[in-house]
Amino acid sequence: MDQVIEQYFDLSVMFDGQNFDEVLGGFKYTLMLSVIAGVLSLIWGLVLAILRQLPGRLFAPVRWLTIAYIDAFRGVPMLLVLLIIYGSLGALYSQGVIPEWLGIPRWFGLPDPFWVGVMAITITYGAYMAEVYRAGIEAVPHGQTEAARSLGMSHGQAMRYIIVPQAVRKVVPPLLNDFIALMKDTSLVSVIGLIEVVQAGRDIQAEQLNSSALTLGAILFLIVTVPLARVVDHLIARQARKTGRGGQARSTGEAPPTAGLGMGGGVSQ
Amino acid sequence: MTLDGAATAAAASNGATLRLDNVHKRFGELEVLRGVDLELQRGEVVCVVGPSGSGKSTLLRCINLLEPPEEGHIYLEGREITHQARRERAHDIDFVRRRVGIVFQQFNLFPHKSALANVGLAQTKVLGRSYEDALEKAESLLYRVGLGDKLNEFPDRLSGGQQQRVAIARALAMDPHVMLFDEVTSALDPELVKEVLDVLRELAAEGMTMIVVTHEMGFAREVASRVVFMDGGVIIEEGPPAEVLDNPRQERTKQFFGLVLER
Repeated sequence: MDQVIEQYFDLSVMFDGQNFDEVLGGFKYTLMLSVIAGVLSLIWGLVLAILRQLPGRLFAPVRWLTIAYIDAFRGVPMLLVLLIIYGSLGALYSQGVIPEWLGIPRWFGLPDPFWVGVMAITITYGAYMAEVYRAGIEAVPHGQTEAARSLGMSHGQAMRYIIVPQAVRKVVPPLLNDFIALMKDTSLVSVIGLIEVVQAGRDIQAEQLNSSALTLGAILFLIVTVPLARVVDHLIARQARKTGRGGQARSTGEAPPTAGLGMGGGVSQ
Repeated sequence: MTLDGAATAAAASNGATLRLDNVHKRFGELEVLRGVDLELQRGEVVCVVGPSGSGKSTLLRCINLLEPPEEGHIYLEGREITHQARRERAHDIDFVRRRVGIVFQQFNLFPHKSALANVGLAQTKVLGRSYEDALEKAESLLYRVGLGDKLNEFPDRLSGGQQQRVAIARALAMDPHVMLFDEVTSALDPELVKEVLDVLRELAAEGMTMIVVTHEMGFAREVASRVVFMDGGVIIEEGPPAEVLDNPRQERTKQFFGLVLER
């Protein structure tokens, strides 16, 4: 029994100075990858969602392309995207297709697997998040668009000032859920050689025939993901309370009375 | 538009502020408007009454091109606004939306904006007014509809009647030449109806040109320069309120008001 516990929870392995530093160093990459790719996915997803909603016949090709993109990257494993980008970048660079000045991405002193990871995650999770945004945009009552248009706003203005701000508020919880999934998926980038937290733990496991460093990695994940999940629960409960209180929610009565938004802010004379 | 074209259009509109000529609107198989002719002179208040599904709301939505009609012509201040060509349509929409305001049954206030911002936003974004001018105008309009103490409230903190008055102020902020009211009191509790109708009365007294779709017969009798009775997507009868409401000529109209009075 002791051996079993030791295999997974050997504190001397976890907190051995060098092991601990390696795992923590790996987790630093995990966090940076999550935050940078997370923010980029949020932006890219919104861009895709808006492209998908462009009106009129003129933009039909844009809509189709966007739908095709979203379908494609929701439907293939991220690992595959990761491997394609990583392998192809090197090959294209050596063939001179990628110009010298652009080079292989090694910005801010971070290794190229890191930036390839950022790309693959953004490409993939952007597609997921686009669908979340779309659900939010479609959940805004049509009367809002009509009110905005009847005041003379263009489609773009209606989206920017009226629809998207309401949509984003509605989709914060599902987006955070996606972010938690994204964070866990950063471990896939270990496959192309980034020593993030999982790879760091694996190296120690292989060397010392003990899994405790991986357990430590799991604990580090949980320290971040569990509170995030609680925040999501809290936000969902709050939204439910709001819609519940308003009874049959009309087109109104859903947004929190947050001061300082848009024009409402600075005026209190 | 050429001079010649302008002259033709002006002639076609007979100097009326708004003129509808044989307007048809279909939703798939369903023909909601089946040839509506209507003329509105400046300063006129036309109340449109009729049973549900008679096309009253669709008529308003056609006039401000939220639902462009498939057939027929609409002229606003002498200019046709129902061109079929894609390119002209955008100009039509722009022309209409800057001159015609609409207030909806469901208010459709922007829930993430304060009352002041609801009224101010489009002024800055569409008319290009300065932030200060827009706020000043929004404030004075909200005072005018009796909401001077609610400037910074958000819609979910306002009653239905208050929300609807904000919506009216929001439409007025664009300096419309014509106002359309689409059953603006139908979603309100009975005791809140009056405060909204009072605002409409005041507007009418100030000479605003307006079309009011309503079930409030008392209001129509008192305020309308003309009452239009619609059924089945056409205008059955129109005339002064006393005539249409109290002494209708058409059987269908008699039947409708008979039912309304029996209630």
